[in-house]
Amino acid sequence: MWIVEALVLLSVAFVLVLLWRGPTPWDRLIAYNTASTRVVVAICIVSVATGKTVYLDVAVGYAALSFLGVVIISRFLERGGGHR
Amino acid sequence: MTIFSFILMGLGVAFVFVGSLGILRLRDVYSRLQASGVSDNAGLGLILIGLILYSPWSAHDITLLLLLVLILVTNPIVTHSIARSAFVQRQRQETDT
Repeated sequence: MWIVEALVLLSVAFVLVLLWRGPTPWDRLIAYNTASTRVVVAICIVSVATGKTVYLDVAVGYAALSFLGVVIISRFLERGGGHR
Repeated sequence: MTIFSFILMGLGVAFVFVGSLGILRLRDVYSRLQASGVSDNAGLGLILIGLILYSPWSAHDITLLLLLVLILVTNPIVTHSIARSAFVQRQRQETDT
């Protein structure tokens, strides 16, 4: 179980490279969305592996808030992105 | 059942790694969006189904199922929203110049 957790966190580290070097704001937004969704699944794996149910509520809240944040940022970039 | 759940989680991790490889290798916003959206939906869905099957009939399962539905619904919405944002902004820049 912990091997799966380590591999998911390693893929999060790969995605953070794109978050660091992405040329356009949309690339960084894609990287942020992908990383947050994978972190949600990593929290789920920790919760099942240690048997603590409390972490699953944290995962649900984080998933909902990251969805809301990404949609709001993409709407903001669609209307001009602050540099207009 | 445990073996089956580990097989499902291994498949999901393979999908996730293919997705991150595509994100790092491709050179366009839309290509990266396709790599991240499709493979993440498949991989994370497989990992969550494996987690549900790992300890069946426990208190985890309803919340994990809710989380699976949440991810499977919101991830295409986010992908569509980012693609529409990039497309509209590019059209606007082309019509301005």
